[in-house]
Amino acid sequence: MKCGVRFCGGCNPRYDRGTAYEIIKQNLQEKIQFEYAQEGVTYDILLVIGGCTNCCASYEQYIAKRGLIKIWDMDEIDKTIKILKDFE
Amino acid sequence: MLMTGAQYIESLRKLKTRVYLFGEEIENWVDHPMIRPSIDCVAVTYDLAHDPQYTDLMTAKSILNGETINRFCNIHQSTDDLRKKVKMQRLLGQKTASCFQRCVGMDSFNAVYSTTFEVDKKYGTTYHQNFLKYLKFVQENDLVVDGAMTDPKGDRGLAPSKQKDPDLFLRIVERRPDGIVIRGSKAHQTGSINSHEHLIMPTMAMGEEDKDYAVSFACPTDADGIYMIYGRQSCDTRKLEPDADVDLGNHKYGGQEALVVFDNVFIPNDRIFLCGEYDFATMLVERFAGYHRQSYGGCKVGVGDVIIGAAALAADYNGASKATHIKDKLIEMTHLNETLYCCGIACSAEGYPTAAGNYQIDLLLANVCKQNVTRFPYEIVRLAEDIAGGLMVTMPSERDFRSDLKVGKKGETIGDICNKYFAGSPTCTTEERMRVLRFLENICLGSAAVGYRTESMHGAGSPQAQRIMIARQGNIEGKKALAKAILDI
Repeated sequence: MKCGVRFCGGCNPRYDRGTAYEIIKQNLQEKIQFEYAQEGVTYDILLVIGGCTNCCASYEQYIAKRGLIKIWDMDEIDKTIKILKDFE
Repeated sequence: MLMTGAQYIESLRKLKTRVYLFGEEIENWVDHPMIRPSIDCVAVTYDLAHDPQYTDLMTAKSILNGETINRFCNIHQSTDDLRKKVKMQRLLGQKTASCFQRCVGMDSFNAVYSTTFEVDKKYGTTYHQNFLKYLKFVQENDLVVDGAMTDPKGDRGLAPSKQKDPDLFLRIVERRPDGIVIRGSKAHQTGSINSHEHLIMPTMAMGEEDKDYAVSFACPTDADGIYMIYGRQSCDTRKLEPDADVDLGNHKYGGQEALVVFDNVFIPNDRIFLCGEYDFATMLVERFAGYHRQSYGGCKVGVGDVIIGAAALAADYNGASKATHIKDKLIEMTHLNETLYCCGIACSAEGYPTAAGNYQIDLLLANVCKQNVTRFPYEIVRLAEDIAGGLMVTMPSERDFRSDLKVGKKGETIGDICNKYFAGSPTCTTEERMRVLRFLENICLGSAAVGYRTESMHGAGSPQAQRIMIARQGNIEGKKALAKAILDI
């Protein structure tokens, strides 16, 4: 499964977005191929990592066939990993 | 094309920019220790545009061709663009704790874009097409442009055309079939030396007798006849001390201002965006000032974030972080800083499309934003100084801390003595404590105070300029009507 990753711009993040991404990636690296989202590429899923509840990252320009997951809090990591693990 | 920071720095070396400092011409100004921190600061605006964690703020889509561009070259196409501009500025303030100098260009692009459209509509001129061509050149080459507005102004009580010395406002001295010749200067120009190009605008409202002063144009920074005299900053020569590091406060980044002189500079027709249409000077000034007053609700907030962090570290290193009054002061600093951000976001969210189609901020809220910026940073640094303690201005130099000169009866060196008596909490080294205190010294009253304090006061217009705009936009008559309605008057 291919997952495109899009960060918000990080103007005032309430947690370390980069660390959050690394944790998610390490937990799912055997099942999911992660890469920074690029226009014109089709992904199975798009992971949008915001630094606060606003989660203002633009993502409409990317193609994801099967859905979108947004994360804006360190506490969301476990839930996100579970959702991605269960994704068939 | 998105340049990297390294490519940007190399691009500056290709320019033949004339720079004067301490009465001498500086040949290699790119590597000069007093100038280089400000160049490295601009370079951050390039490098972050390549980092996936920041591209959502640092890049945008060109209004001209849909290509990805650095947001500093963007024409705002929505209120979302306006908000992201402020967020980008906060981010860069956090990363540099300095003025990163590129906002004036972005703000001038947007003001000139919309104003030229309306000038052309009234007068049938081709300034908007000229500007679109210029914008394409800027976006394709990812350039830094100094949006230059402020004239020296001479006697503030006199109009440009009434000054004893006519050069005190920048003006057209000759009109030729192929262009115009410009004479005068622009003062306080942030990042001018680090810019590839200059985009000039008139400085205030003008009458018919001032039409030679109602001029807007672009030219390369190294055009024939342009030179710059570097503005010195408090404690700036610390940067010339051998191996200076801790004593600089911020050894990575800094800001820059200069006087930019135009000594009969020729401007070709296709780079002219206003040429005597004096009735549009006010529109251009108000739009640029509005954008720039919005900008301060982002950049100063980012720098404020670093100051709050440094003050909290100083409290930790002093062993005072558990004191209730320290906690309360950090809360107050945060409250003030986030209030500035609220204004920056609010004037963006309430933006509107101009006749040209790009988005303009809400003028009342942007002026309220900047008015707060003339006050709150002063209170933030006052509280930072309170938390830091007097040591931030009485501490010996870093050379003393590193000195191996023996002065004690048991052979203790000056370095040993300094490290012994200036040690703080065991959670930090004496050098770490020094670094934080020197950072606060630099931002409160050293070279960075230029950007965080006085620029907050006078940059984008002095406080009274905002009060005039607040008076115009404040709708007092409407508020009277509200009171009358409630009171049946």
